[in-house]
Amino acid sequence: MSPRPRRIRLEDWTRRYAELRAAGLSEPSYGGPLERHVLDGDLRLPKLLYDDSPAALRLWNFLLTEEDRLQAARAEGKKLVGAMKDLGTVPVMAWSLPGVVAFYPDGAWWIPCVMELSAGLLAVADRLGVDESFCPVRAMLGAFLTEAHYPIPDLLTCNAGAVCDDFSAIAQRLAGLGHPVLWWESPHRRRPDPGEEAVELPGGFTAPRGHVALVREELARIREALGRLAGLPLTDERLAEGIRAANRVRRVLRELRDLAYTADPCPLPALEMLIAEMLALHFCSDREEALAVLGELLGEVRGRVAEGTGVLDPGAARIFWVNPVADLSAMNLLEDCGGRVCGTDYLFSHALDEIPGDLEPLEALARMAVADPMTGSAADRAERICRDAARFGAEAVLVSRIPGASHCATEGRIIGDAVDRSLGLPVLEIEVPPLIDSVRAGISGRMEALVETVRRRRRA
Amino acid sequence: MITAGIDAGSRAIKVVLLGDGDGDPLAETVGPQGIDQEARATWLCEKALEEAGLSASDVARVVATGYGRKKVPFAHRTITEITCHARGIRRLVPEARTIIEIGGQDSKLIRLDGRGAVRDFAMNDRCAAGTGRFLEMVANRFDVCLSELGDLAVRSKNPAVISSMCVVFAETEIIGLLAAGAPPEDIVGGVQHAIATRVAALGGRRVAGPVVFTGGVAMIPGMDRALEGVLDQPVTVAPRPQFTGALGAALLAREPGA
Repeated sequence: MSPRPRRIRLEDWTRRYAELRAAGLSEPSYGGPLERHVLDGDLRLPKLLYDDSPAALRLWNFLLTEEDRLQAARAEGKKLVGAMKDLGTVPVMAWSLPGVVAFYPDGAWWIPCVMELSAGLLAVADRLGVDESFCPVRAMLGAFLTEAHYPIPDLLTCNAGAVCDDFSAIAQRLAGLGHPVLWWESPHRRRPDPGEEAVELPGGFTAPRGHVALVREELARIREALGRLAGLPLTDERLAEGIRAANRVRRVLRELRDLAYTADPCPLPALEMLIAEMLALHFCSDREEALAVLGELLGEVRGRVAEGTGVLDPGAARIFWVNPVADLSAMNLLEDCGGRVCGTDYLFSHALDEIPGDLEPLEALARMAVADPMTGSAADRAERICRDAARFGAEAVLVSRIPGASHCATEGRIIGDAVDRSLGLPVLEIEVPPLIDSVRAGISGRMEALVETVRRRRRA
Repeated sequence: MITAGIDAGSRAIKVVLLGDGDGDPLAETVGPQGIDQEARATWLCEKALEEAGLSASDVARVVATGYGRKKVPFAHRTITEITCHARGIRRLVPEARTIIEIGGQDSKLIRLDGRGAVRDFAMNDRCAAGTGRFLEMVANRFDVCLSELGDLAVRSKNPAVISSMCVVFAETEIIGLLAAGAPPEDIVGGVQHAIATRVAALGGRRVAGPVVFTGGVAMIPGMDRALEGVLDQPVTVAPRPQFTGALGAALLAREPGA
């Protein structure tokens, strides 16, 4: 039997990497020891705990070299599309065109954590009047101004309307700084009125036909713009192939989630799962490589499940996690407190569902966009959270508030009430700032209390 | 089996020694928290043992709780305040369905199920509004001790409106109210109402009775009435509320695995 997988620190990874290399580890071009990223300024990395598998090493290296890939794409003359806020729609379209690379500038919200505020991105946003009363995604403004993290895209799109007030304001500020934005509108999703024609959406919701048609028209504008950028029409055939490719990624992720979140002992840490899930949105600027990275991770998890091994002790409290965290160490912390993540809703659950393959491509994408949890009510979101938490056998739900994020102000209580009513599970709300160091004791105490509550409920 | 519970809170350390059965604690001691927490906790335990006529070797298990729980090296186990308060209240007021605990540094609202086990909980530990720290600030402003502050509050006929949710700004409001000639008892009454509002908000619409009030702030006269007013239901102050967490810790120390 293989040695039991473990969560290890960065310095352990240095030794582990040398061992793996000596044993003949084969790596992609972006491979290498993890500690080199610290020299690039990723100062948070020594404070995190990592899965010790080669598959996890590849995942981390893939994530932490995205900026290099974007610079290389620019140097090769590829067209760069910055797809803001849509969480999984425009990248699928952009990647359908040859010579076009889509990425997700919103991902800059992790830079303040990973670089421990050393890049000064939040300070730039402050100076632009976008202060801490906004979501930490405001770091994106700093990334555009310093140009130190990714090239300025050839085309910037932004989903606006019902999706996120903060993001719209931040993107408006960006536009005001001379970065033209192609806006596309998502109206607030509602249930069809009696007698109104309804359309089934991925994820189990319905919306009025007219609502989907409106979003489809918006996406048609995006299609035209992408075609102009690429110098090639974005035909239905190209879109259909792009959707099939995106669905391959989503299918691998689905299997990965199903295995990783249900097996006991927990086969893969929450932190690596968080990063893996994010690949569904933007493919980390290389769609085919994202598929390979996820495939290797899935292989590792399958092997661990078959051997009955995992990174945590069996019986860890099963926690369903709601909302992504700005500080990645929060995911480690839950496991340190005796919990494990057994399901997630990181605000893009729709991007983990397969895009319908039996519909005309733009219609399929429009339905997917309308299914975005941020365009619907918090009650809709709570409904899906309850469904998923039940499916994954959660014993508690943890709602992680994002400081400044407008949707977080009220949704926690709505989600909490829904979980209590329909599942009878304990719900804990915490707030996770970009760096949790000063509030670690408080957050840790709450997580410990949640784990104790779960354990005592088991014994009752 | 004799067990000890130590609640190393942010303002005070409390120790409860418990014997077998459902009888009263063998001893209870309390002292202020400080930077030499380990020495203070040790001294308080020794004092409790002396009070009970026991020695350290008579104590089978020690459980520590509270903010400083990880800094009690002689504890066999640490358990959070949430679990300990719930266990303590299950012993003291078994019919309770909601616990409100206001300490020096945070406030908690704990919902219990029919068996007295934790159903879920909410905490405020990022803002001094809704904690005993707010009352301390006000007591300092009026140059009285906390118990005298409570005596002032119960005389209030027309509590002032403290609109700020921030203690620092609330202090500014208090200065303004004093300058405007508002009676001290009405200012203190207003402060208690503001704290109660803040704490009640932790529970949203889900505050089921019976509600029990515990923690050090529960000893201050008037706070229970302020909570009753905001929650619109009776609020019972737990017996010896300062010791609830330590009592729960001592009870949990009896359980297998502790």
